[in-house]
Amino acid sequence: MDLPSAARSGLLPALVEAHTRCGAIDASEAGRIAAGLRMPAALAWEAASSFPDFERETARGAEPVCVGPACLAAGAIAGPGQVAVECQHRCFEAPAAGEDAPFPESAIRLAGPLLAPEDTDWRGLDAARASGRDGVLAGLERSGLRGRGGAYFPVASKWSAALARERPLALVVNAEEGEPGVYKDRALLCRRPRRFVEGLAIAIEALAPAVTVIFLNGRAQGAMESMRSALESHGDILPAAPRVVRGGGGYVLGEETTMLNAIEGRKPVPRVRPPFPVESGLWGMPTVVNNVETIASLAVIFREGAAAFRARGTAAAPGTRLLSVSGAVARPGVYEVEMGVTIARVLEMAGGPAARPIVAALAGGPSGGFLPESTFGTPLLPGQLHATGAALGAGGLLFLDSPAAVRKTALYLAEFNAAESCGKCTPCREGAPRAHEMLASGNKAGLEDLLEVMAVASLCGLGQMAPGPIRSALHFWPELFA
Amino acid sequence: MSLTVDGIEAPAEGTLLDAVLAAGIGLPHLCTDDNLAAIGACRTCLVEADGRIVAACSAPASQFHQVATRGAVVERIRRGVLELTAAMVSPGSLDRPGGPHAGELAAALASHSARLDRYPHRTRTRSDATNTFFSFHEEACILCGRCVAACQELQHIGAIGMAGRGGATRVTPGADATFADSICTSCGSCVAACPTPALSPREAFAP
Ligand code: SF4
Ligand code: SF4
Ligand code: FES
Repeated sequence: MDLPSAARSGLLPALVEAHTRCGAIDASEAGRIAAGLRMPAALAWEAASSFPDFERETARGAEPVCVGPACLAAGAIAGPGQVAVECQHRCFEAPAAGEDAPFPESAIRLAGPLLAPEDTDWRGLDAARASGRDGVLAGLERSGLRGRGGAYFPVASKWSAALARERPLALVVNAEEGEPGVYKDRALLCRRPRRFVEGLAIAIEALAPAVTVIFLNGRAQGAMESMRSALESHGDILPAAPRVVRGGGGYVLGEETTMLNAIEGRKPVPRVRPPFPVESGLWGMPTVVNNVETIASLAVIFREGAAAFRARGTAAAPGTRLLSVSGAVARPGVYEVEMGVTIARVLEMAGGPAARPIVAALAGGPSGGFLPESTFGTPLLPGQLHATGAALGAGGLLFLDSPAAVRKTALYLAEFNAAESCGKCTPCREGAPRAHEMLASGNKAGLEDLLEVMAVASLCGLGQMAPGPIRSALHFWPELFA
Repeated sequence: MSLTVDGIEAPAEGTLLDAVLAAGIGLPHLCTDDNLAAIGACRTCLVEADGRIVAACSAPASQFHQVATRGAVVERIRRGVLELTAAMVSPGSLDRPGGPHAGELAAALASHSARLDRYPHRTRTRSDATNTFFSFHEEACILCGRCVAACQELQHIGAIGMAGRGGATRVTPGADATFADSICTSCGSCVAACPTPALSPREAFAP
């Protein structure tokens, strides 16, 4: 099917192309692109100037050095001839340097059904086809699968809500994975792409979307190549080639309505809800947005059966999920664990401390919070792990071995959230930088009031959850920020 | 299904903001213009609805029963948002004459006894006087997005956008151009929408 509003949806691909060809995109380049697409220059510029990657020259000469949270904790600094870059999603080999590289098999530390060696048949898809749309929905319902992007919304309910509109619908796969410290979708796409393609075929079978878009992180080149080759070699199981759209960076891009705006060629900022994407999403179509891991889980569920899936995890949160484990542990990498496993158990699986004893874990990255070692008996389940902020989220776990590392990471995350605020709403845009300043200066009068305003009043999850790292660090380690 | 706002019966149609205003109760709504769909950027329209704090401009009235615009928590948070908003504008810039809605921010700050100096100010200072009929003074702009929505959605012109992100966001004509060098038709919709004097008629045309 032809995409609606074709000119405008050509914007992001044109920006990515221009950035790859000639480096940073300035206003005059945006103006030329706008003229080519016959759209107003202001609209192209407001989008182009909102993707952080487009401000940067594509690295020429200088070697990128990651200064994301795990690499920072490992002591990374950019030396002469090097350029400091945001999390490279290679925290399993911190400190990481160099370009994006395909995810190595060796960093898959624990495999379950999702990360098991790839299959050679399409039994999951065959089973789904044999049971038809209603059968797939029923199977999905029985499996109890909840979205693996971080919100854990029941997948069967999301699909049913979109199908209930009885209008042509859109399927969008969220492969943005822009959260520092998370790299499990890259692991899936690089190492088990066939499983992802099978899951995608099942979703397409059941949803019969008019449009299927895979939104892939602009810097995840290894994942791109692996996924593209799997889509090509197994294209015969898909009714039509999905459209692949690359992003231009920005943590907020993982927020689903922001992603929809980006695909449509609009400025990447969140939309108000309602309407929810299942009611009116991409180009106003009922839209299902699912994470890569959620999609790959479909292949497992329909291959093994819902009962086998449910046999792992807990009754309310069945199945396994992928953790991205980083920091001061002996064996950082991706671990496929049952939902409900404790943090202590994960630490043990990861070989325990690399050197010094672990004092804290950051759970949920910039939208999560810190937990002290004394709470490691906490099971990893959807929702908050602690009222001050820690959350399972997308499954990022960073282990830290000193209070100094907690302080450094908390300040990093406060600054990160301020830098990643999209700027649309006042509490986050104005609040996040001030919260960072207050934390850094130790002048904390009024900080809790400010964090309350950000948490309650912000438009999207980024601002609502940005207080987590700050609140949790202050709660458990007040003396570090005096 | 009945809806009450601060104990007053209100029509459960449209948004909670519609219901609040229909009940004759004042509530800031700095990024909502009568003619435009909800933007959700200013976060000053917060109310407590069935125990949750929600932005009234984007909450469907039919989904709620009891709405309160008053209450210690919701008022504290609205005031907090307004104080962050006040820190965006330079002192005195709100006294300037402006378009028909230019007094909305000042009124909201006053009604909430918001402290204008609660947070260190972080103002932007660009001005654009290249248009014959109106001028733009960033020092009074709160990035509510009404002007941009009026230009893009209402007039279907697209002369201005919200360029940049985070703290670098600014209302920008064209691709980093001036109003004169943009496709602005001088229709004045942006000036009519602005809740502060940031976009204001040139003196000769002031109402
Ligand atoms: S909370 Fe932050 S990221 Fe989300 S809409 Fe508001 S400014 Fe943008
Ligand atoms: S110029 Fe006025 S209408 Fe436009 S964003 Fe600023 S305050 Fe809002
Ligand atoms: S009027 Fe509701 S967020 Fe601005």
